Amino acid sequence: MGEDHVMTWHSRHDLPWLLAFVLPAFVIVVAVQFYPLAYSALLSVQEWSLTESQEPQGFVGLDNFRAELGDSTFQRSVRNSIVITGGAVILEMLLGVCLAYLTMGSSWRMRAVRTLLILPMVIAPVAAGTLWRILLNSRAGLVNHLLSAIGVQGPEWLASSDWALVSVILLDTWQWTPFVLLVAGAAIASIPTDLLEVAAIDGASRWRTFLHVELPLLLPLLLLTLVFRMLESLLSLDSIYSLTFGGPGFSTYTLTFYIYTQGLRNFNFGAAAASSWIFMAFASLSIWLAFRFQRRDW
Amino acid sequence: MSRNKSLSQQILALLRLLILAIACLAVLAPLAYLVINSIKLPREFLTVPPTILPTEVTFQHYEELIDDSKTIRYFRNSLTVALWTTAITILSGTLAAYGLARMRLAARFLALITFLFLFIRFYPRVTTVIPFFLVMRELDLLDTVWAIIIGQLGITIPFVTWLMLVVFQDLPAEIEEAAIVDGASIWQRFWRVVLPIVMPSVSAAAILTAFLSWNEFLIASSVARRKASVLSIAVASFVSDKGIQWGPMAAMSVVMIVPMIIFALFAQKYLIRGITFGAVKG
Repeated sequence: MGEDHVMTWHSRHDLPWLLAFVLPAFVIVVAVQFYPLAYSALLSVQEWSLTESQEPQGFVGLDNFRAELGDSTFQRSVRNSIVITGGAVILEMLLGVCLAYLTMGSSWRMRAVRTLLILPMVIAPVAAGTLWRILLNSRAGLVNHLLSAIGVQGPEWLASSDWALVSVILLDTWQWTPFVLLVAGAAIASIPTDLLEVAAIDGASRWRTFLHVELPLLLPLLLLTLVFRMLESLLSLDSIYSLTFGGPGFSTYTLTFYIYTQGLRNFNFGAAAASSWIFMAFASLSIWLAFRFQRRDW
Repeated sequence: MSRNKSLSQQILALLRLLILAIACLAVLAPLAYLVINSIKLPREFLTVPPTILPTEVTFQHYEELIDDSKTIRYFRNSLTVALWTTAITILSGTLAAYGLARMRLAARFLALITFLFLFIRFYPRVTTVIPFFLVMRELDLLDTVWAIIIGQLGITIPFVTWLMLVVFQDLPAEIEEAAIVDGASIWQRFWRVVLPIVMPSVSAAAILTAFLSWNEFLIASSVARRKASVLSIAVASFVSDKGIQWGPMAAMSVVMIVPMIIFALFAQKYLIRGITFGAVKG
């Protein structure tokens, strides 16, 4: 009780110190994150093309939003984003969970395999993009060379609009399956072994044990991983920038890439801000979902 | 029966080995191919059929990179940005996390803070890039390493604060009691009692920050395109109107990737903890 009293007294005494500890971080985050966010909300209702004027060109209400939603490149970018993120995240979840099961175990061999398998994740996405640009080159790339070795004529990966989308999915999957592998691996390792033993004694097959015992336990974390991967994949710019630069034409423009080029190549600040807030509405919803999954109080 | 079972088990074990071997190859072959391309002669790039293993090894692409004063500058800028970002992030982020953990905030308020951390990590950053560009223009900081550092701090500080907040919350308050009874101020307690205990986590956070900063592209490419340019921009810039310069692009990618792979092999545990943080707690 006495010590408790000491603690309470001290924590009140310490409060100014604690506030001072938090202050620098708080100031930087407000200045670098929240101020620009508010600024961008303001830009989204103004007309401003830097190529025409150094100053904002006046308040236009929701015109930017209307124009963006009706813009065919914007719509195409949304479609591309859905295809790329959808395809990549499904592949990553399936492959990641499978590989997590296959690399279970603490022998040095399995540890070495796991170390090797996570390497793609530590590579800068922009360098992973150039790497795959070299691999997928239709004439001199390794991928088509290997395909021709088994008698398959490889496609013009980065020159055809459909295959370019596949290429982006391939790159995302190659780089981020390790993330799912790691998270799923940690989750699987934390399942109490006696649960599995009970199931085995009851005569349940390995597959039924997975479906009825393990999957329900893993599901919350897998859902969280799915939302994380979905968001990161939607937000990624670097790999597209160096793999396809949105091309050919607009075939691999994703929402993020579209907003980036609108803002920092065409300098259409108003339009870029408006489309980024449309994006923001969706992202916020997903972040809220991730938050609920993370707290598991649902 | 039992012989059958062991046979099917053997087949399964073999299958597992086969799949893992393919997975390892899928990771290693692209990396090996990149290195091979960086030491290939230019004329061997677009021959049909392609030369997978070059007949002659050349270091000319690396020599060109080293001779080019721009590469050295990019490398130096990348290092400068990573070092400053890491130093400032670790100092302010660790302090802020300790402050928040010891403030005895209401659960509701802590939940709000956690949500904000999650939001900052995952909202479309491209939204704030233009305003940030405008602010940096206003402050006359465009095309300086400081514009990149300040921009990255906005990402790394919340991340490290979040990471360390969990660590401090798990730290029992009793460890400070003796020091409190001795009359140590909170500043002294933080440096002498708490910090030594959480040092492994601080190293993890530092490694992760350096890694994020080194690989970062969006902010760097939006505020520093010329003299303050960094490696990530340089790697992306080899695709020009004149076509792709395969050799230099491969060499530059190797320069960028290799330090991170070495980093990952030595500090694997820390790096993994950081990258999966938020999904796997602690």
